This record gives sequence, structure tokens and C-alpha cells, in this order.
Amino acid sequence: MRMRAAALICLLGAVLLLTPQLGAAPPHPSLPGLPDPKVMVGEIGQYGGTFLDSQVSDPRTFNPVLAQETTSTGPLGYLFEGLVEDNGQTTETEPALAESWTTSKDGRTWTFVLRQGLRWNDGQPVTADDVLFTFQVVYDPRIPNSESDVLRVAGKPIQVAKVDARTVRFTTAEPFGPFLRVIGVPIIPRHKLEAAYNAGRFNQTWGLNTPPRELVGTGPYAMTEYKNAQRMVFVRNPHYWKVDTAGHRLPYIDRVVLTIVPDQDAHRLLFQAGQTDSYGVRPREYAEFKRGEKAGNYTVYDGGPSFGSQFLVFNQNPHSGLPAYKLKWFQTQKFRQAVAYAVDRQAIINQVFAGHAIPEYGPESPADKFFYNPRVMQYPYDLDKAARVLAEAGFKKGADGVLRDADGHPVQFVISTNSDNKDRVAIANIIRQDLTKLGMQVTLAPESFNTLVNKLVESFRWEAMVLGLTGGVDPHNGQNVWKSSGSLHMWYPKQPKPATPWEAQIDRYFNLAATTVDQNRRRAYYNQYQEIVAEQVPLIYTAIPNAYVAVRNKFGNIKFTAFGGAFWNFPVVFIKR
Amino acid sequence: MLRYIIRRVILLGPLLIGITLVSWAAIQLAPGSGNYFQSLVLQYPQISPSTISALRAQFGMDQPPWIQYLRWLWSIVHLNFGLSFAYNVPVTWLIGSRAANTLLLSVTSMVVAWSVALPLGIYSAVHQYSVTDGLLNTAAFVAISIPSFFSALLLLYGAYWTRLLPLQGLTSVDFDFLPWWGKILDIARHLVLPTIALGLFSVGGLMRYMRNYLLEVLRADFVKTARAKGLAERVVIYRHAVRNAINPLVTLFGFELGGLLSGAAFVENVLGYPGLGRLILEALLKKDVFVVMGTLLIGSVLLVLGNLVADILLAYVDPRIRYD
Repeated sequence: MRMRAAALICLLGAVLLLTPQLGAAPPHPSLPGLPDPKVMVGEIGQYGGTFLDSQVSDPRTFNPVLAQETTSTGPLGYLFEGLVEDNGQTTETEPALAESWTTSKDGRTWTFVLRQGLRWNDGQPVTADDVLFTFQVVYDPRIPNSESDVLRVAGKPIQVAKVDARTVRFTTAEPFGPFLRVIGVPIIPRHKLEAAYNAGRFNQTWGLNTPPRELVGTGPYAMTEYKNAQRMVFVRNPHYWKVDTAGHRLPYIDRVVLTIVPDQDAHRLLFQAGQTDSYGVRPREYAEFKRGEKAGNYTVYDGGPSFGSQFLVFNQNPHSGLPAYKLKWFQTQKFRQAVAYAVDRQAIINQVFAGHAIPEYGPESPADKFFYNPRVMQYPYDLDKAARVLAEAGFKKGADGVLRDADGHPVQFVISTNSDNKDRVAIANIIRQDLTKLGMQVTLAPESFNTLVNKLVESFRWEAMVLGLTGGVDPHNGQNVWKSSGSLHMWYPKQPKPATPWEAQIDRYFNLAATTVDQNRRRAYYNQYQEIVAEQVPLIYTAIPNAYVAVRNKFGNIKFTAFGGAFWNFPVVFIKR
Repeated sequence: MLRYIIRRVILLGPLLIGITLVSWAAIQLAPGSGNYFQSLVLQYPQISPSTISALRAQFGMDQPPWIQYLRWLWSIVHLNFGLSFAYNVPVTWLIGSRAANTLLLSVTSMVVAWSVALPLGIYSAVHQYSVTDGLLNTAAFVAISIPSFFSALLLLYGAYWTRLLPLQGLTSVDFDFLPWWGKILDIARHLVLPTIALGLFSVGGLMRYMRNYLLEVLRADFVKTARAKGLAERVVIYRHAVRNAINPLVTLFGFELGGLLSGAAFVENVLGYPGLGRLILEALLKKDVFVVMGTLLIGSVLLVLGNLVADILLAYVDPRIRYD
């Protein structure tokens, strides 16, 4: 991620992507009709074999533009790819269908050159027209999709123009910092989808009722079978555009079978019985799985902290119908800080995550190697300190042990959380116990997920909640949470103008970071935002669990990371013989 | 008889409209009316409110509830059950893709349950207060009290330790490459666990019903008369007592017919069975309204038809019953 802009310019004209450690580049591999394949680094493997994987539920759609949830985007990842892709290890953006790109001086124009000789898995060539078609569909107001929200700069769509059959030019209304992070939308085949699009049937195209062979993509695999609620089967795409360092066309593995296993316990048994090849180990199962490594012939990989966060949030929304004195507590920085000191993160780590987690104080995870700011204000567990901070804010604990504010209102509130998430209920319980020690009267209300969402985004009638969000590398993706106008700015959503000076500051840093192309300056802006959030604690963070996965030992080239998972480099993963 | 059937079928219409109205109201009034589209925002923080309202409009959910309902009713008349919000495919396709699997499991577990429960019930009634009767009754109460998802979980662990039966699903990975008899065998192997898990529960109940009804009849005067006439005990029990005791069970059978397509969400979840129950439960939790309404409607039709079948059967097994 360092020196992004410089690196990009260097990439212009470069045809190979090798890690610098390799030193002098070997003669670069090429294939007939595909002069510049992308080289994937790794041990030279063998062809053949089947990878048995599983997921928790059916995909919702096979249409990559409409797909949102991981149960759809996961399987579709075998089939569709973008102009660029993220490296699972370095988290950097790398060329994919595009072999190179250039940026103009003002940072508003990006020109991408497609790899020569790219083919869809039905043999048709991939051209700039497919890219144009993809963006036309994404931006069509008749086709609601979340990509179109991400791909907006200063509220305007990105202009896409064809230069020649292999070159596409993008122009943004303003310089756009996260451009490379968002531009990798899956490219769809115009020759297969244009008729449906023109007929206004795109929203119903490539649903689950489509024969799998109709799904034409550029990815390493093609789907051959889909049995609703049972499984998906993929076979190797013979036209794939990646090679190993010796120039063999990838992928190595012939067949992928993705079984749908709705129950987590069943999934675990299936892995232990040898009927799937990988299993996402939950922190509390870590010790047990580690013990079974030898007998089960697998390895448990440790990816370090994940991107998931769990936090407590107080309602600061004046339109929430909360009594004025309660609103005043929640809007008081000292009150929130005191609660932050009262959160026993070590207890949460031990009891909820079996010790396999780290305390969290700021909004970004250390899994984000580039944007994470470790120097934010921290709130180590200290009930005395919490009591002192509360006293500074005028709260007094009476002889009856009840905490009251300066006007004599006893401090009592309800923490809601979704009942189907055991971790969150446990976290809320641990927090409640400590707050009770401070003299607060806290009730825990586990509710259905839908009820919670309704309170959060529509009725606003709640007091405190324990919730979680998954993050990504670029903080820009969290702007709906952090900008005061955001609909997921949980404590006071959709503010007409920032309610507090610090929220105005965060807005400013988010806007600056979005319109800056220099990644180091962007990092400086996002550092500021992380410091403000930790100081103001609108969200009181608890702990980040580590990411673990168990994978059978028969696979070669596994490079597990919390960001990319165990199979981000799947084309070079092979089965040892 | 025919007139009776026609009358019942005609009455089906208003009854179904009533059912749709009630279930629509129930969905609208359910606590936390947070609908499917609203909950998208927490799952995909980057989604904008305008995208959410566009999605809502695409499915006609921006209209007032009673217009939504009338539109839905109108399309039902044209045999169009609408589109699923979550999957964006016709509800009929979703249901169709799983209906056969659910039917298969319901029928096998029903056949197994009835063919096990009835003989056991008769046996324990005839040998009332014997040791076997006591054991059977205890077993029946245990079977009734264990929730079926739990027995499914126990069976799953059993299958895991013994490695005799497949743990998940309805077919093996290489199902498509098997010969026809291999396919049948494969499905049969996969059906064992869910059939037991579902059947166990109903065996307990059915056995108790059979036992109680039979005991009641055995105390009746005509049984005494039959015995006094010197009829063989076999003939007394099977020709006279059981035939009279079976009436309430026939009604019960009708109810079970109604449940043929409702699936068993929990067992299906644990055993990864591709049935309707999973679909319905998921749709209900996510407020995927048209899927819920579609399955409710089909379930109701089956229930009403099942009752009709039961009534007809009743007239057949008991000559005393006449409908005209």
C-alpha cells in the first residue's frame, strides 16, 4: 500500500507481477493466444483433484451485480472477476482482468488496459464493451444494487468511456482516494445478458432457476450443477488467464464441490468425518481443533485479529422520544468514557472468545495493516476510574448504592441485542454486571434481529445496544456509519447537519480522505478520525476475535490471512500426491 | 356423497380467502415490523437509503398494506405467487424445487411411524399393565418429550461415530454418476436419519392414541358380547375392537396429510435436508412475505383437503357415518 501512486506509474508498461524478493525476473511465461497471463506466485503444483467446501445457506442469486451477501458472492467468486483484485496477503490492489492502468495528474482520470487474449468460459473474447456494459447496468436506476452506492464520487456516477477494444477510461467528478478499492466490480458478459437487459428483465436474470451452464464468466471455474439447498459443483475453466511461475495454466484443482450445510454443529462433524476440506474454527473451538490436528490430518491456521467488531452504543438521537435527562447522559462524553472504563475486555476475551481475541478501543482493526491507528485513547478496565469519571460528570452514588445524575434521576437503561447471537448476549451480560457495580440499573433485552434493525433505522426507540459490524481495508466503506448524514450513524442517523463539533470533524476527515489520491495523506486523515472516535466513544468497543481456519494437510500453497481467508490464492492451491 | 364433496370444495374458496387475510394481517402486525429491506442496511453498511426504497418499490412494497394484499390476491388467481425478495425468483420455483423432497420425507416418516405405532399400540392395549406395556409407554413418553431437532442431533453424532450412514443432505456428491439403482440406494441411505428423527416423535403419540382408543373399546359391551359368543380373541380384537377404535385415528391421519408439505425446519436444518421447512423458517425470520404467504396458502389447501379425505375415509371405514 505504501507509495501507491508511484507504484501505479511504475506498473504502466510492466507486464509481470512478481514480488520484488525474486530479484531478476525469469523469462516471463506466455500461452498461445494469451501473451501476458498473470503469474501467481507459489510452489509449482500438480493438476487434478476435488476441493470439498461448504457454506451455511443457498446463494440468493447467481447475478453478480445483484449479489450482496457472502453466500452469493462466495460461490460467484469462482466465476466472475473485476479489472483489479485484492492480494489476500498484502491487502494491496493488483491487476486482474486489466493488465495495467494509469492515472492523470489531477487524479480524476483512470485508464485501464485489458489483458490481451482474455476469454469468457464459453470461448468468446472479453472486450471493453463488456466493461462498459457492466457499468451501464450497475448505474441503471431500474436495477437497485449496492455497488452503485459504493461507486459514487461526490454523489455522481463515474463516467466510463471506451478508448479502443482493450482500453477503458474512467473519469470521476472529483479526485477519489478509494478508487482502486471500489473499481473491481465483477465484469459480466454483454453477449449473454444484453438481451435480457434491453427487455427490462435484468433483475430476474441469472436467478437461482438458471441452468448453471448459462452462467458465463472469466473466473477460474465454471458451474456445472446446482441442486437447491444441496450443493454447487464447479469445474476448471480451460480458458483461465493466470499461470504459475513455470507458465502452466491455472487453476490446478479440477473440481470444487460446495455443499450447503445449514447447521454449524453438522458442519463441524462433516469436517471431522473428512467430508469437507476446510472449516472456519470459532475461537472457543480452537483448543479442541488444535488437539485433533494430527488425528484429523489437518492444520489450524491462525490469521490473527479479524475484521469483525462488537461494541456497545448509546442512543444520542433527539428524535428518539427518550426523556431529556437520559438523552443528556448519553450525550455526555464523560458518561460514555466511564462506561468504556467499566467494560472488562479481558473477561469478554476469556469467556466469549476463550482467550483468542484482543481488546479493541478504536474503530479500525489491526487486521487493516495500512489504516489501523494503534495510538488511540485506551480504556483499560478500572471501575474506580470509571466511578471518578462519573463523579466528574456530576453523577453520585447514593447510600442505597444507586447512581443518580446531578438532578437526582437514578441511572437506569435497557441494553438491547439480537438474541440469535450468543456472543453478543454474553458480552452484554458481562458489561451489565460491571455497570451494576457502578450503581447503574441495567436491564438486558435480547430481541429478534428484525426488531433491533427496526429500532435502529426507523423508530429510534432504544436506549443502548450491543451490536457488531464487519469492516474492510478502506475506512471509506464505513462512511455510512461515521458521517453524520449516514443512515447507519447509529447513535443519531441522518443528521441534517452535524450535531456536535467532533462529528463535524469526522465528516471533514472522511470527505478529505475520499477526495485525496495520495494514500499516505489519506492515512493521516483516517488516523485523525480514529483518534476522535476513541476519545468521544460513540461506540464503546469490546474485543476483536482472531480468525482461524482448519484446512486438510493435502493442500499445497495455503497462505491463510484474516483478510483473504484460506483460499484467496485458490488458482495456485493444489492437492499433493 | 358426491354432493357433499362438491359442497366442501365450493366452501374451500371463501375459507382460503379468510386464511390469506388472517395470515397477511399476522405478518403485518408481527412485532418488530422491520421488513426485509430495512434489515439490509445493517448487513451491508454501504447500501444507501435510496437503493433500499428502490428495492422496496420493485416488489410493490411501497404501497399501503391493503393494496399490497389485493395485488397479491389478484396474482394468486392467475396462479402467480409473486417473487421472493431474497432470491428474486418466482415463489413457485422455490417451493417446487423443494416440495418433492419434503413430500418424500413426510411420506416415508409417516409410513414408518404408522406402521410401527399401530401394532405397538394394539399390543400394549391388549397386554395392559404388563411389563412390556409399561416399557412401551415409558418409551412413548420419552419419544414425545425429546424435541425432534435434539433427536436429530443425537442421531447425527451416532452416525458420525459409527460411520454407517451419511451425515447430511439427500444425495451424495457423485450422485449424478450413479446408475439408477445406485441413486435409489443413495437416497434411501440419506433418508434413514431424518425419517427416524421425524418418525420417532409421532410414533410415541400415535401409539398412545391407539392404545387409549382400543382400551376404551375393549371395555364396551359389544366386545363382552363377542367374547361371550365364544369368538376367538384374535377375531374379537382385530375384526371388532380395532375397527371401532380406528375412527379417531383416521381424523388424525387427515390432519397429517395437511402437514405433508409443511416440512420440519429444525430436523431439516440439523441434517441438512433440502426440504421446505428450512425455506419457510428462513422466509419467516427475514419477512420474505410472498414466500411465507405462498407456503401458508399451500399448507392451508392441503390441510382442508386432508380433512376432506379424512371425512371420506371415515365414511368408508365406518358404515354408520353418512353425510347426505
